[in-house]
Amino acid sequence: MVISPVHYIVAPLLAAFAIALLSKIYKNAARIVPGIVLFYNIVISLVLMPQVLEKGMISEVIAGWEAPWGINLVLTPFSGFLTTAVSVIGFAIWLYGYKFKVRLQGGEVKYYEILQMMMIAGSLGVIITGDLFNMFVFIEIVGITAYSLTAFYRGRDGAEASFKYLLIGSLASIFLLMGILIIYTQTGSLNMAQIAERMPMVPQTMKVTALIFFLIALGIEAEMFPMNGWAPDAYSQAPSPTSAVFAAVVSVAGVYALIRVTFTVFDVEGVHQYLIVMGFVTMLVAEISAVAQVNLKRMLAYSSLGQMGLVLIAFGIGSHLAVFGAIFLMLNHAVIKALLFMSGSYFIYNSDDKRLIGLNGIHKRLPFVSAIFSIAAFAIIGFPPFSGFWSKFYILIAAGDENMIFLIIGILMVTIIELVYYLRTVARIYFYKDEVEHTEHKPSINAIVAMSFLTLFIIVIGIYPNLITGYLHQAADSLLDKASYIQHILK
Amino acid sequence: MNTLTIILLILTIGAAFTYFINAVNHKLTAISAFVTITIATGYFFGLAELGDQFKFALGDFSMQWGLNAFSYYFIYIVLGLSWLALLYSIAYMEGKARLGYYYGAFLLTIAGMFGVVISQDFISLFIFWEIMTWASFLLVIYNYYYNIKTEGMKYMIFSAIGAYAMLTAIVFIHHYYGTFLIGEALSKGAFSFNQHIFIPIFLLLGFGIKAAVMPFHVWAPGAYAKTPMSFTAVFSGALSKMGIFGIALVFSTYYITHNAGGFIASQILAWMGGITAVMGTIYALIQTDAKRLLAYSSVAQLGYIVVGLSTGTKLGIMAALYLAVLHAAFKGALFMVAGAVEKQAGTTDMTKISGLIKRMPWTFLVALISIITLAGVPPLGGFVGKWLIYEALITESNNYFLAIVIFFSSTAAFLYSYRFLFGLFLGQEEEETKDVKEAPVTMLIPMLMLSFVSIITGVMPGLVFNPAAKAMNALGFADTNWDMTSLSNIWGNTTDLSLIGIFIIIVFILGFAVLTLKGRKKTKSVGTKDISSSGELWKEGENWTFQQDFFKPFQRAAAPLYKFDMDKIWSDMGNALEAFFGFFRKVYTGNGQTYAIYVIAFLAILLIFKDYIFN
Amino acid sequence: MMEFSEIFFKYKDLITVAVYGTAIMLIIIGLYGVLLKKHLVKIAIGLTIMDSGINLLFVAVGYIQNGTAPIFSPGHEGDAIRMVDPVPQALVLTAIVIGFAVTALALSLIIRLYKHHHTANIDQINSLKW
Repeated sequence: MVISPVHYIVAPLLAAFAIALLSKIYKNAARIVPGIVLFYNIVISLVLMPQVLEKGMISEVIAGWEAPWGINLVLTPFSGFLTTAVSVIGFAIWLYGYKFKVRLQGGEVKYYEILQMMMIAGSLGVIITGDLFNMFVFIEIVGITAYSLTAFYRGRDGAEASFKYLLIGSLASIFLLMGILIIYTQTGSLNMAQIAERMPMVPQTMKVTALIFFLIALGIEAEMFPMNGWAPDAYSQAPSPTSAVFAAVVSVAGVYALIRVTFTVFDVEGVHQYLIVMGFVTMLVAEISAVAQVNLKRMLAYSSLGQMGLVLIAFGIGSHLAVFGAIFLMLNHAVIKALLFMSGSYFIYNSDDKRLIGLNGIHKRLPFVSAIFSIAAFAIIGFPPFSGFWSKFYILIAAGDENMIFLIIGILMVTIIELVYYLRTVARIYFYKDEVEHTEHKPSINAIVAMSFLTLFIIVIGIYPNLITGYLHQAADSLLDKASYIQHILK
Repeated sequence: MNTLTIILLILTIGAAFTYFINAVNHKLTAISAFVTITIATGYFFGLAELGDQFKFALGDFSMQWGLNAFSYYFIYIVLGLSWLALLYSIAYMEGKARLGYYYGAFLLTIAGMFGVVISQDFISLFIFWEIMTWASFLLVIYNYYYNIKTEGMKYMIFSAIGAYAMLTAIVFIHHYYGTFLIGEALSKGAFSFNQHIFIPIFLLLGFGIKAAVMPFHVWAPGAYAKTPMSFTAVFSGALSKMGIFGIALVFSTYYITHNAGGFIASQILAWMGGITAVMGTIYALIQTDAKRLLAYSSVAQLGYIVVGLSTGTKLGIMAALYLAVLHAAFKGALFMVAGAVEKQAGTTDMTKISGLIKRMPWTFLVALISIITLAGVPPLGGFVGKWLIYEALITESNNYFLAIVIFFSSTAAFLYSYRFLFGLFLGQEEEETKDVKEAPVTMLIPMLMLSFVSIITGVMPGLVFNPAAKAMNALGFADTNWDMTSLSNIWGNTTDLSLIGIFIIIVFILGFAVLTLKGRKKTKSVGTKDISSSGELWKEGENWTFQQDFFKPFQRAAAPLYKFDMDKIWSDMGNALEAFFGFFRKVYTGNGQTYAIYVIAFLAILLIFKDYIFN
Repeated sequence: MMEFSEIFFKYKDLITVAVYGTAIMLIIIGLYGVLLKKHLVKIAIGLTIMDSGINLLFVAVGYIQNGTAPIFSPGHEGDAIRMVDPVPQALVLTAIVIGFAVTALALSLIIRLYKHHHTANIDQINSLKW
């Protein structure tokens, strides 16, 4: 069996259906199968990435219909890098959630894992697809599974968050269809490479209208302001491993879709300024809102929005160094945010008061988790010697090279705001009196291993980023190189 | 491997090891920390040489660490003071909780400071600067059990503002001059005030905030007073000098070239330093807590150093560097004294305790020597520093008004120095302090060693002048001529300090001998109570010591100066910002339909204005 | 806007205009339902109507004058050049299924929301805010 990119999608999908069947026979199948499949995904990454880096791109066609008539899956250094990251982090999150008791009024584990698998399959599909409508389908898969997972707990708030997500998400799909419609009528194709080739011939108004629809629709998925109202609710109400997956996988897929469409498919001027401005507004509003939050997961959700804003700013700047920084930041954010949600949820699990007050002095009961949370908080603010520093630094240097002093000052001022609420939480964990009623739930060994692994990543890359800078450079190059993308696929 | 890397590794691994060993055995933690710093210091002074360099590439950037005379001068302060402070900590922190955390963060701070001083490229400088900042932040909040929002966050926010201003400057130095190396940037004129003036200004902002220059000093009193005293010795003694290190570096272009663009900046800096000195002193006067008094005094002393730096002349820089070392010595000793009093007597509130001289004589001796140094009285070292500053201000810069301001401030320094001494040690002995014992030996030894530094520099200031001159060479100055034991001014008069010292000692001994021998029969030993009351009789329980509102007349006279409360201004700004933020977040109303309306409205805006946005 | 009116007047075929017009009207009606109606079920219906509208628009776009259904059948293999564009029809099939799934999910959520809040007014369902 030759390993090809389609396995990325097929494996989790098959696993989802396999879980449904196998759990009739073997009770624990629902917990084990995802691990096997995600591990297989990592194996695929390790096999395919060297090929990608060597050949420049792998394009695989489905069902024998050659591109551009058929659907093709494209593995460029950029998308390959992201899928590897997603697989590894997904595996770590699975490991963390292995003993996750879907507690209280929850459903059964198998439904949870099925939905989770399909969501990961969908996100991977968004990343590696080379066809616009295929992207739409995968976005919808991610959407439906995400709506269901948000509402997984039977309490009232999950349903509310899910409904809001559904409402906005449906708007996204409708606008996406409108955009695809206009593109299809103008270029006659749905294949991204072919559209990119034919784009110069499309009249300007049509092009810009289609672009606007895509920006709105994918902006909803990528959590851009003002379309990200659904995000804080969804992140905070979903079960904890799902929140981690949202932050690490779904938002990565959303941003990837947005960037792929704006950079590769369209060639409109002014998109970069748009991304910088909207990215900055997203970041500003999100971080400002995070300061006043009382609920830990909601605070982390707003922080996620802020980081995504910074990623968009970096992509907007557009130079090689900026894109490099943006991809680095996406990777860092995925790892760090997943880690924050994982440790944060242990805090919530261990105290009956779900608000931040419940975190007072919790380090006495959970010293290991507290240390990990603190390291992750330091990393996301951008303190050296953790990996978050390098990504912010590269982005700032790239901005400096474009002489954008006000942008730099703006980003740094927002970082100070971020600093305030994260350090406040760290101080609360370590130094307040532990007065809240609590039930003991020590982290199990699998969670400890998963969290340690991700923390180790943060520290090692922080001290020696050279380990991944090579891959990142190639990823950045491949994104900016539109011509070779088209040429490679259409041959 | 390179010596410098090894020292950093020793410090960081020592920090991690100490943190974990606390879980094993509490007593081992202090020992392990002390052993780490001893190894590091010994290794450095034994093996590191001037001119050591370490270049390596990290993530597309080339970094460079090296040891030049300027760095070497500051490492004396960093490693020396830290070693003594850690020795002091062994007894001071005994029995407290979370020792692993304390020592781990302490060692990390030291590693950060060491790294800052040996960095020869901006990226390493920033990295170590940040490590130093967050490690010290962890220590500032160590003592907090409830009110974290103020001191710790104030410190962090101000430090972050400074650090990020520095980062902006670093990014633009790279953009305009194409390099991250400090030496290269210097030679290309990156710090010149004639072009891209915001670069040196932002750098000065970053370094100045760390050196507690007005108006950004508001974090200092709280942070210095509330941290454990053993760390404050390093915090105020060494960490603030990192700011001085940076300011000297940035200003060095101005020193050498004296171009007109920098003149205004140097004047502004001089006045900021002067105002800091005055305001710090004034606020120190009205404090009732010895720790806060010392904290404000630190701010004032740093003001002097900044004034010295801003004059831009050889004498001024020499004065500043000399004062830097001396301040580390005497302020470190004073904070250790306050810590000893706190540990033994339970509090440092001067309205509550007094008359400790009988109980803690050695501590008193250290305090006395340090106070004399602070006030600038010969034959101790502070005199040399003050003398140099005055000479620099009067003879080499034409800033007579500033000289008057500094003079006013140092005279007022007498007032609070005396207050400190009187408040804690002299005066009537209280009931509560009857059973206070002298501080343990491991706490006394560092204090005494620091006092020894104050004494010896008074007699042989050349011991400090020598490395300082070498440091100034490294900055680009020509050789200064100095003498081991004497001070000379531009008019050729010399004062031989060793003669003065010997003279004073001889007078002292003679006087003591004469008085004791002469009045042998008429003198008898009395308690402190009799001394304070000068023989008058008083009833039990009556308090004849003047402790509250000690400087009330002065306070009334200087009332307009006290109205200028920088702290309140910053707090008001912070509250206004918070209210502003509270308004902003109402965007997320929680109503799903509203979010949908946002989307559609945004779509409409984009469609209408599409020609202006995308063309 | 000029381009759209140009397109319209190109196809003076009344049926085509009617179909396009209906599709756009449906989208607008659906949008009106989503944005301005307060009852949850009405919002869900609005979403469904919008879905139908966009699907109709898709199919209409794929129409070629005097074309026939894009199905190969025995005896009509050579008709490929006279077929309407099959791609939008495939897309619409997919979109209809997706729309159906989302609607089902939306309705089940509405049931759960009603059970907890005892109201189906969207303005009252905002406990997660700011």
